[in-house]
Amino acid sequence: MLPNPLALIAEITHRCPLHCVYCSNPMQLAATQSELSTEEWASVFEQSGKLGMLHAHFTGGEPLARPDLRELIAAAHNARLYTNLITSGIGLSEPRLKTLVDAGLDHIQISFQDSREDSANWIAGAKSHAHKIELARGVRRYKIAFTVNLVVHRQNLDHLEEMIAFIEQLSPERVEIAHTQYYGWALTNRAALMPTQAQLNRAVAIVAEAEKRLAGRIRIDSVVPDYYAKYPKACMGGWGRKLMLINPAGKVLPCHAAEVLPGMSFENVREKSLEWIWRESASFRRFRGEDWMPEPCRSCERRSEDFGGCRCQAFLLARDATATDPACSLAPAHHLVESAVREANSEASVAQPTALSSFVQLQKLTTDLWTYRTNPE
Amino acid sequence: MASPLDSSQPRLAAGCRWAPSTTGKEENRMILFPEGAIKLQGTGRQVLERCDGQRTFSEIIAELQKEFGTTDPEKIRADISTFLEQLQKKRIVDY
Ligand code: SF4
Repeated sequence: MLPNPLALIAEITHRCPLHCVYCSNPMQLAATQSELSTEEWASVFEQSGKLGMLHAHFTGGEPLARPDLRELIAAAHNARLYTNLITSGIGLSEPRLKTLVDAGLDHIQISFQDSREDSANWIAGAKSHAHKIELARGVRRYKIAFTVNLVVHRQNLDHLEEMIAFIEQLSPERVEIAHTQYYGWALTNRAALMPTQAQLNRAVAIVAEAEKRLAGRIRIDSVVPDYYAKYPKACMGGWGRKLMLINPAGKVLPCHAAEVLPGMSFENVREKSLEWIWRESASFRRFRGEDWMPEPCRSCERRSEDFGGCRCQAFLLARDATATDPACSLAPAHHLVESAVREANSEASVAQPTALSSFVQLQKLTTDLWTYRTNPE
Repeated sequence: MASPLDSSQPRLAAGCRWAPSTTGKEENRMILFPEGAIKLQGTGRQVLERCDGQRTFSEIIAELQKEFGTTDPEKIRADISTFLEQLQKKRIVDY
């Protein structure tokens, strides 16, 4: 029997005050006037609760860009969902935070770009750092869970130790060290973002030390980026197995990037019920289970753990959505990942990891090193 | 990281809570936290239902010993201590 989905990812808007170069949103952003209304979202949350989902993750874009965020959180809370706000914190004043907590917010996840103000602003393409520090301090006045999300890559991985020390002062319960994944904007900027093996090794040691030191105080979640791993990640816990993502315009996707896949169409909550989409839709069934799998996955022991990896990565790199994820060391197309890794580690690579001292200078020199994320119409 | 002291008052960590009950007498209860949920029944549930930030660790042990009567008291203490330590490490419990 098909199990219930566990969580809803509510991408409530694609608008965002930041322009992060590693943004996981699709390059084709959903236009503002197509966004679901407050009532439409409320119905989505109600259906999610009835379907047995436990968590609602509010993300974007920047969820705070929706003036009705309080109503949306209240609706999810009333539908008995655990509510999580994933935010840059820009636009969140303390009074507004209080209204969200009162509406039933359980968990806030604030992302930081770097511990150093100049480079953090450079990566986010906006002046945002100082405000976030203040906000993080405000968060601790409430009884909600607090996670700091640190997005790491070639340009900031060398500051990891400093970043962790900085985060400690904000006393969250959790730190998520998220290596950039190469979809959407980040794939375009991959050469500037992919760390070297040496950077990664150092980072692994730093995380292990911090985990030990902070045990019982701060939980650290960190996963080796898949280009450097032997096997791929179980993307979204498997296609159509655990999660449903709803984009700002109401399109229901099995993962953030699914819209890049050619020849697929996705249902909209404006037309179909969430339950029907989960159980019956062709899109959610397309890569569910093992029937679609090629070799070597089909006869591989790990197929029930990683489900053959990520369909979008298979398409983006190997131009075949039904291929084994090229991040897997057993994949026929693994050479594509190997050559990207080789390039990232070569002397002649386009973007050298930057030294701390040169950040400000670099900011002036290299805004053409990468493409800042734009905003929807 | 340290084990709970006799005087510690274990409680659910910020943002971790029991899932609202639908019938009021389910056999399993669930604790929701940022990364997911754990289903609890039996002893684990009896321990966590007492982690209310009021009762001390030694009171919790005493209550459970009374309930299990025959079991070795030292073993009960060690088991509960390990259980709470693990949950503290996951940041689901504070003490
Ligand atoms: S061959 Fe397929 S199932 Fe096996 S580890 Fe690689 S991606 Fe996973």
